[in-house]
Amino acid sequence: MNFNIRDATKEDCKDELALYEKMPDQVKISHEDLERDGFCPNPCFGCLIAEVPEENKSKEGFTTVGYALYFYTYSTRKGRAVHLEDLYVMPEFRGFGIGKGLLSNVAKVTKEKQCALLQLSVLDWNTPSRDFYAARGAQDLTVTEGLHLIRFDEQSLDDLGNDAPKN
Amino acid sequence: MVPFCVYLQRDGFNQNPLFECLVAQVPEGSQSKEGFTIVGYALYFDIYSTWKGRSMYLEDFYVMPEFRGFGIGKSLLSTVGKVAKEKQCARLQLRVLDGNTPSRDFYAARGAQDLTVNEGWHMIRFDGPDLERLAKETH
Repeated sequence: MNFNIRDATKEDCKDELALYEKMPDQVKISHEDLERDGFCPNPCFGCLIAEVPEENKSKEGFTTVGYALYFYTYSTRKGRAVHLEDLYVMPEFRGFGIGKGLLSNVAKVTKEKQCALLQLSVLDWNTPSRDFYAARGAQDLTVTEGLHLIRFDEQSLDDLGNDAPKN
Repeated sequence: MVPFCVYLQRDGFNQNPLFECLVAQVPEGSQSKEGFTIVGYALYFDIYSTWKGRSMYLEDFYVMPEFRGFGIGKSLLSTVGKVAKEKQCARLQLRVLDGNTPSRDFYAARGAQDLTVNEGWHMIRFDGPDLERLAKETH
């Protein structure tokens, strides 16, 4: 299967969201949010697209068949780092090395930007993904170091902010 | 060898800072045993969720041991929460070690969810030679 990996453009946001809508839980932001947040002077994220030639397009007619969305983070121990937020390949296009290609290209961006770490999250029951990352040399910090991911959102974030001292 | 503070100065205080930081400060009369008036800090940066949009990540959160128990940590964390809301962030995320019960209880008491326990999320990292090797495998 021939495929090409390139930087996403603003025009790709609609297709990206269409890919996402194939997933069980719908994304809550719009393609306008993605366009605004990813293609402004100080973008909130970077994105790579995997596309196939016209003759190999998906059943619904998409040539965009996968993507990787990442952003920059900071480690006070190691400096600038990259977090891979989303990595997705349409089910009918899996097994052709597209996911591997996307991941390697994100790692290449990580090195080009002189970032020391590439990090991401994966669900414990997602054995194919966990094996995929482990096979490529990733460490599972939750297993090896006992790291837990903690989140405040919606009401708990509101309550937290309301507790701030008023100085 | 360049002291790490030089990198923090470069990365946090230029035109496009990679992080922001709050410090907790006490008056001169209450300074630490070593003479510091800065007794705690919270370092955070913007992240992104394709589900919810702009979010924030609390990377470091620390109060000197002799200044704990006075509400300094609570104030630092709440102020980070306030900044997140002002920036219209949907989420504030951070990590904690499973053995760190005081911290886990501290966050839980303030309404945080432990996504590793509740949803099974694991944190994955590539670094060093594994990252190098991965970057060389590009299509």
